[in-house]
Amino acid sequence: MLDVILSQVATGLVLGGLYVLIAIGLSIIFGLLGIVNFAHGSFFALGAYFALTLYQYFGWPAVLLAPLLVGVVGMAVERTLIHRLYDKEPLISLIVTFALALMIEALLRLIYGGIGQPFNQPPFLSGIYLWGPLLITKYRLTVFLVTMALLVGLWAFLQFTPFGRILRAASRDPEMVGLLGIRLPRVLTAVFGLGCALAGIAGVLAAPLWTVIPSMSENAIMPAFVVVVIGGLGSFAGAVIAGLLVGVVTALTIQFQPDAANAVMYVFMAVILLLRPRGLLGERWERFE
Amino acid sequence: MTEPKSSLVLPRRRALLAAASLATAAPLARPFIGNAAAAEPIKIGLLLAKTGDIAAQTEYLANGTYLALEERGNKIMGQPAELVWLDEPSPQGSQQNMQRLVQENKVVAILGGSLSSNALAEQATAAQLKVPFVCNNAAATAMSGANCNHYTFRLNTPVAVQAAMFAPYIMGYGKKWYFITANYAFGQDIAKSFKDILAKAGGTIVGDDSVPLNTPDYSSFILKIRQAKPDMILGGVPAGDLSTFLKQWNEMGMKGTIPICEIAIGDTDIWAVGQEAAAGLYTSLWWYNNPNNPPDEKAMAAEYQKKYGKPAADKAWMGWIAAKSLFESIELAKSTEPEAIIKGLESWKGGSAANPYYWRKGDHQMLLRNLVVQVKPKITDKWDYFDVKGVVPENVADLETVFGSPEANGCHMT
Repeated sequence: MLDVILSQVATGLVLGGLYVLIAIGLSIIFGLLGIVNFAHGSFFALGAYFALTLYQYFGWPAVLLAPLLVGVVGMAVERTLIHRLYDKEPLISLIVTFALALMIEALLRLIYGGIGQPFNQPPFLSGIYLWGPLLITKYRLTVFLVTMALLVGLWAFLQFTPFGRILRAASRDPEMVGLLGIRLPRVLTAVFGLGCALAGIAGVLAAPLWTVIPSMSENAIMPAFVVVVIGGLGSFAGAVIAGLLVGVVTALTIQFQPDAANAVMYVFMAVILLLRPRGLLGERWERFE
Repeated sequence: MTEPKSSLVLPRRRALLAAASLATAAPLARPFIGNAAAAEPIKIGLLLAKTGDIAAQTEYLANGTYLALEERGNKIMGQPAELVWLDEPSPQGSQQNMQRLVQENKVVAILGGSLSSNALAEQATAAQLKVPFVCNNAAATAMSGANCNHYTFRLNTPVAVQAAMFAPYIMGYGKKWYFITANYAFGQDIAKSFKDILAKAGGTIVGDDSVPLNTPDYSSFILKIRQAKPDMILGGVPAGDLSTFLKQWNEMGMKGTIPICEIAIGDTDIWAVGQEAAAGLYTSLWWYNNPNNPPDEKAMAAEYQKKYGKPAADKAWMGWIAAKSLFESIELAKSTEPEAIIKGLESWKGGSAANPYYWRKGDHQMLLRNLVVQVKPKITDKWDYFDVKGVVPENVADLETVFGSPEANGCHMT
């Protein structure tokens, strides 16, 4: 039984890693912009579709450009739509981004059709590793390593670069950052683009595993919200821990109670909120109190 | 300090712009108003999901439906006819939209029912509203069994019948089966039907997973299957979920190790998997590349290819044949009254002399032979995935027997 549990934990960590990538972008956008971005899952889907198109026309290396394109689309959306919502009620941003999600899905359906698009892992990442009782595929191991590398890079960027410091300061007191002569609107545009690009990376990585279909955003957005809530709003480390936990808990539930696999993350969230109402590593944020 | 602006107050310049837009757009609507006044069209409701994973199938169902109307010059009984398409967001939402179609849009009949859970709710509403409802996709056994009613016609072969027809083809793989089925009406129906068959054959269930719909990651399920070492996997996951499962099955190096069998596959499900990952043995109602298709179906497939630039999926045929039978039945009845349409449908026949299909009067189930299809060992065309392994039942004369009598299926028409 131990070998099964080990394999399930490894599988759960990969799934959790994807959830973390999606959730981090959501968390950053909420933390800095105060926007509950319901369209975040759609940027995940855009990542998958851009990867598919780039692969079809230019081959595998071009797929690396997909998250950048998603980031550019994100920035364009911020300049045209999202920046109008900063001083509005949170409910309005929720409704507008929900409409945006529906619009992106409809656009994907219009361009690519409603049917799933075939897209599998590159041949050089096909195959499995068997280490004793542990089974993991080359592709999933790559996804996990890429995710971890990205998270470390993002953490270092936020922690040690001047721009990262501005972002952290702006998340706490945007007015003060503006008074210090920093052009906040540009920062916010960049942040929204960064959040969307992270969702795009998750979409690129998930495309060979999930069915690439316009509605694939639905499978991404809810776990992302759950991870952000469990981790604590705006907490980087919280989102990482929560994402990995959700992945592992889901995988182990499949082993022992498969029909509860999708529901277990919500139960987990409820339990965490009962014990820690601000989430695992959530702090008091004056802006949102 | 200035007062915050109310978001409800429209600045004058924008108000002017909005008014100008309205003024520009208004004449565009006029021709339709004029046409409506000239001749009120016969309206047919279309109730198919517009979003969600099932939308991959409903796109083809809708395309086939529209094609059937276009073939007739968009006319029924010489009168203009049009389709009114509303969404199927959930069982309750589908019922509400069915009411809207009948009460607001004044449709004379309804086509649709993409998911079993929705269709079961819709057929009850059809009986309440006394409107003919031709279900073009759902396969839950109860639809033409215990839940059958006078107003509902169902095209897809019930799960239990498909299971019985499919059984001889899969028994050869062995008697240790692993069940992986979706935890809603369709999946539960499959699990029940095949468990009965396996029990009668003296087989063993080595695993039985009930999977939530829209599961994005099957790797943990695949690990369980790998460990259980079954002779065969009996699947009951629908649409995009099946595509995801097959992709991950291949990704985890399992393709070719354990046979996968499932009933009622949609072509779009297998096309989404990709040539390198596709696998399995399935039942299907129709395959565009089947050389035995009758001439009108071949013509439809050619027209579909011409119009949409890709082959007609089985769902396109299902949308097309359900609509064609309804339109022809209205013509036959020379009336749009519900009872006349129902009588027309009950006497309608399609297909060829060698391979006929028709709506059975006793339960309004379409009796038609199914195909057993297998994914080709090597796929060279991005659409041509299947080899047709057989037609079930082998003899047309056995149709009534394999479908079982309405009474035996629990149908007592109300």
